[in-house]
Amino acid sequence: MKVALFVPCYIDQFYPQVGIATLQLLEKLGVQAHFPAQQTCCGQPLANSGCERDALPIYKHFVETFSDYDYVVAPSGSCVYHVRKHFDKLDQTADVQHVRSAAYDLIDFISTVLKVDALPGAFPHKVGLHLSCHGQRGLHQANESEMTPVRDGQLSRLLRSLDGIELTQLNRNDECCGFGGTFCVSEAGISARMGQDRVADHVRNGTQVLTGSDMSCLMHLEGIVRRAKLPIKVMHAAEILNGVVA
Amino acid sequence: MSTTSRERILAAAKANKPAELPLPTVPDFGGEATVERFTTVLAGIGGTVVRMGGPEELEATLQQLFPEARHVASPLFRGTVPVDRETPTSILAEIDLAVLPGEIGVAENGCVWLPEANMLHRALPTITQHLALVLDQRRIVATMHQAYAQLPDTGGYGKFVAGPSKTADIEQSLVIGAHGARSLVVLLY
Amino acid sequence: MSHAIRADKFLLDADRTTWHDETLWFVREKRDRAVYGVPEFQELRELASGIKNHTLSRLDLYLQEFEAAAQANGVHVHWAADAAEHNAIILDITRKAGATRIVKSKSMLTEECHLNPYLMQHGIEVVDTDLGERIIQFRDEPPSHIVLPAIHLKKEDVGDTFHTHLGTTKGESDPQRLTEAARQHLRAKFIAGEVAISGVNFAIAETGAVVVCTNEGNADLGVNLARVHIAAMGIEKIIPRLSDLGVFTRLLARSATGQPVTTYTSHFAKPAPGKEMHIVIVDNGRTQQLGRPDFRASLKCIRCGACMNTCPVYRRSGGHSYDFTVPGPIGAILSPNIDMKKHASLPFASTLCGSCTDVCPVKIDIHTQLYKWRQVLGEANEIPASKKWSMKFMGRVLASTRVYGLGGQFARKALRLLPHGLTHAPSMNAWAVARELPEAPKQSFREWYAKQPAAQPAPSQTSA
Repeated sequence: MKVALFVPCYIDQFYPQVGIATLQLLEKLGVQAHFPAQQTCCGQPLANSGCERDALPIYKHFVETFSDYDYVVAPSGSCVYHVRKHFDKLDQTADVQHVRSAAYDLIDFISTVLKVDALPGAFPHKVGLHLSCHGQRGLHQANESEMTPVRDGQLSRLLRSLDGIELTQLNRNDECCGFGGTFCVSEAGISARMGQDRVADHVRNGTQVLTGSDMSCLMHLEGIVRRAKLPIKVMHAAEILNGVVA
Repeated sequence: MSTTSRERILAAAKANKPAELPLPTVPDFGGEATVERFTTVLAGIGGTVVRMGGPEELEATLQQLFPEARHVASPLFRGTVPVDRETPTSILAEIDLAVLPGEIGVAENGCVWLPEANMLHRALPTITQHLALVLDQRRIVATMHQAYAQLPDTGGYGKFVAGPSKTADIEQSLVIGAHGARSLVVLLY
Repeated sequence: MSHAIRADKFLLDADRTTWHDETLWFVREKRDRAVYGVPEFQELRELASGIKNHTLSRLDLYLQEFEAAAQANGVHVHWAADAAEHNAIILDITRKAGATRIVKSKSMLTEECHLNPYLMQHGIEVVDTDLGERIIQFRDEPPSHIVLPAIHLKKEDVGDTFHTHLGTTKGESDPQRLTEAARQHLRAKFIAGEVAISGVNFAIAETGAVVVCTNEGNADLGVNLARVHIAAMGIEKIIPRLSDLGVFTRLLARSATGQPVTTYTSHFAKPAPGKEMHIVIVDNGRTQQLGRPDFRASLKCIRCGACMNTCPVYRRSGGHSYDFTVPGPIGAILSPNIDMKKHASLPFASTLCGSCTDVCPVKIDIHTQLYKWRQVLGEANEIPASKKWSMKFMGRVLASTRVYGLGGQFARKALRLLPHGLTHAPSMNAWAVARELPEAPKQSFREWYAKQPAAQPAPSQTSA
C-alpha cells in the first residue's frame, strides 16, 4: 500500500506539529506514508472565492503529485472533500479519477481503510469534538442532526475508545464554526460571531481540550479561544491520538 | 397582452426544460391508523378528541361541552341559526359553534377532511368561534397518502383541518385562535 | 452594499443577535423532532425531489393541463411574464369587479412583484391578513423570513406598533393579547373585503385546483367571504397529481415549523356559485432559471423556510441583510438569476456548511449551487477586484512548489518578527478583529520533513 501524506498549505506553514503527528500516527498504525515535496494546495481557497478557473493549474499539479499513490491522506476533511467533489472540473482521465477516489481524510482512512475504530491509550480529559461540516456532511464521517438524533461518527468512536476520556455533550452538536475559508475574512463579522458561539457552547459544557479532524476550523476556533484567553487547549485529533498510542 | 405572455412562457418552459425524467410511484408507507395515535397527535396541536358511544349522543355531548353556545349551526341537527350558502356574512360572523361532519381522520397529524358539501357555507368552518367535527372512528387512516387515496376528488372546495386556528408570528409564541376557530373538538364515535 | 456590511449592522446589537439566533434555532429543533418521528422522512424527500424534477421536465405540458382543468372548473386563468404584468392583471380584475378593498393572505410572489405599493398607488386598499405580514405592513418593512415574516421583531416592537395602529394599551406586549387585538381588527377587514388574494402552495395539474396551506385560517376566511378570489402562483408550483400531495403535505409543515401539518390545507377548485375565481400564473425569471442546468433545481423549492432556520449565517444576520424577497440560502441562489450585479454578494454569504441542503425537503443542492453561483459571478467579474487579483496571484503561486515554499517562509518570518499591533491591526487584517493569528512556527512541516530519513527515498515510479 503506497500512501502519500498531503499536508494542506496552512498546516504546513502554521501547524507543522499536526503534519508530524499525522505521519507518526500512521506509522504506529503500520503505514509508512510518504510526503511528496512538490505538493502545494488543493485549490479550494480560490474555487470557493469564485475563481475556479484560476485553480485548475493547482488541481492539475495536485493530480500529478499524487497519481502514483494508492491513497492520499490529509489531516483535513475539507481539502479531501474539495478534491473528491470539485475536481470534476478537470478532464476525467484515469489519473484524475484515481486521485479523487484515493483522497482520504486521516480519520476516514483510519476508520474505513485501516478498519481501526478503537485505540489503546488514555487521555483523561474532557474533550469537546468539533465536527467539521465538510467531513461530516460532505464526507459522511459522522451522523448529521438534520437526519437523526443519534450522535455518532468515526472520530467520536476513536476518541471514546481512549481510557479516561469524557466527551463534551454540546447543545448544538454539529453547527458550523464559521470558518468557511475566505468567508472568514469576507464576512469577518458573522464568521467571528459563529466562532464565538461555537466556543461558548464548549465553555458552557465544560470542554478542556477542543479537537477535531479539520485543522482549518480549529485554527479559527483557536484564534477565538486565544483572543478571549479561555482555558481551553485546541489540538488536532492526530495530536491526541498520536500522543496516546505507544 | 396575456395571450402573448402565455405563448412566451410556454415556449420558454418547453425550450428550457431538461430531458424528461420519470414520475416516481409513491408507496403506501403503512403506519398506525389508531384512535389513540389520532387523539395524541391532535392534542399535541391544540385540538381535543371526545369519544361518543354513537351519533345519537351528539346533542347531549355538545350540551356538556358548549353549554353557553347560543348561535349554533349544523347540518346534523336543528341548530339555532340556519345556514346555507346564501347566508349573509353578518349572520355568519355571529356564530359561536359550528358542528360539521368530517369525512376522514389522519392519525399521523390529527387532521380531518372536510368537503364543501359538509360545510353549509364555505366560510362557516373558519368564521365560527368554535368548531366541532363529527367523525366515525372507522374512517381514521394512518397517513396523508391514505387520506388522498380515499378521496375521489376534492370537489369545488374542501380542506383538511388540523386543530384550532393558530399563530406563532409574535416571537414564536404559540397563540391559539388567530383568525379562524378558537377551538376544535373532534367528536369520535 | 454587500451582505457583509448589512450583517455587521445586525451584529452590532449582540443580545438581539443572540435572541434571533436562538429563536430560529428553536424552530430548527422543532423541525428535527418532527422529522425524527417519521421513519420514512428521507424517502419522502427523495420522492418529493423526484416528483418536482419530473414536473419541471414536462413543465409546459403540465401548465397547459392545469390551465385546461382550471378553466373547466370555471376559473379564469391569466398569464404574466413579469411582475409588472402580474400587478396590472390584478388591478384590472379588481377594477372590473368594482372593488376597492382587498384582503390578502400570505404570498411571497406578490411580495416579489411588489404588488401592495402598486395597488395602493392606484387607490386600492390592500390589507395583509397573516398576522406577521400585517405587523410588517404597519411598519412598512419587507418580510425578513418567508414563513415567519416578522421574526426580526420582539414582542415589545409589536406592542409599540399595535399601540400606534390599533390603539392597544401602551406597553402591552403579551402575544396572546396582541394576537387577539389583531383578530378583532382583521375580522372587520375580512367582513368588508371585496377581493381576496391568496398565494398558492401547490397547483394540481390533473384537477386544476390550487392548494393553500395556512395556520391562521386567513386565506379561507378572506377567500370565502369575498366576491372575487385571485390566486397568484409562480409556474413552479405545479404538481402532477392529487395523490402527490400526500408527499408534500407530509414534508412542508414538518420542515417549516415542526408541526405535523398546517392547520388548514385548503383545496380551491371552483368558485362558489355567483362568485369569481382567477388564477394568475407568473414567470418573472423562472423560465430563465429553468434554462440554467446548474440552477434549475432551485425551482423545486416549496418555500418552507427550513434552510433559513438552519443557516448559521441567516440566524446571525437577519433576513433583511439579504435585501431580497426570499432571504437565506435559497434566496442566495434565486436572487442572482434576477439581478446578478445587485445580489452578487449573496452566494458568498455562506460557509458552504451544507446544512441547508440536508434540511431541504425537496433536496435542492443549495450549497452546491452557492458554490456554482460563485463561479458564475467570478467569470462575470462580479466579485471584488482585490479578491479576484489576489486569487489569480495565489493560483500561480500554488501551482508552483518553489514559489510556494519561498512565500510561506517569508510570511511566517514576517508574522514572527512584526509587532502584534501591526499583524493584528483591524484595518489591515479582517481575521484579527476577533481572532488571534496562529503562532508562526520557526519551521514548516516540509522543512522538518526534509530532515527526516524517510524523506530521502522516493517511492518507485511504477503506476499504482
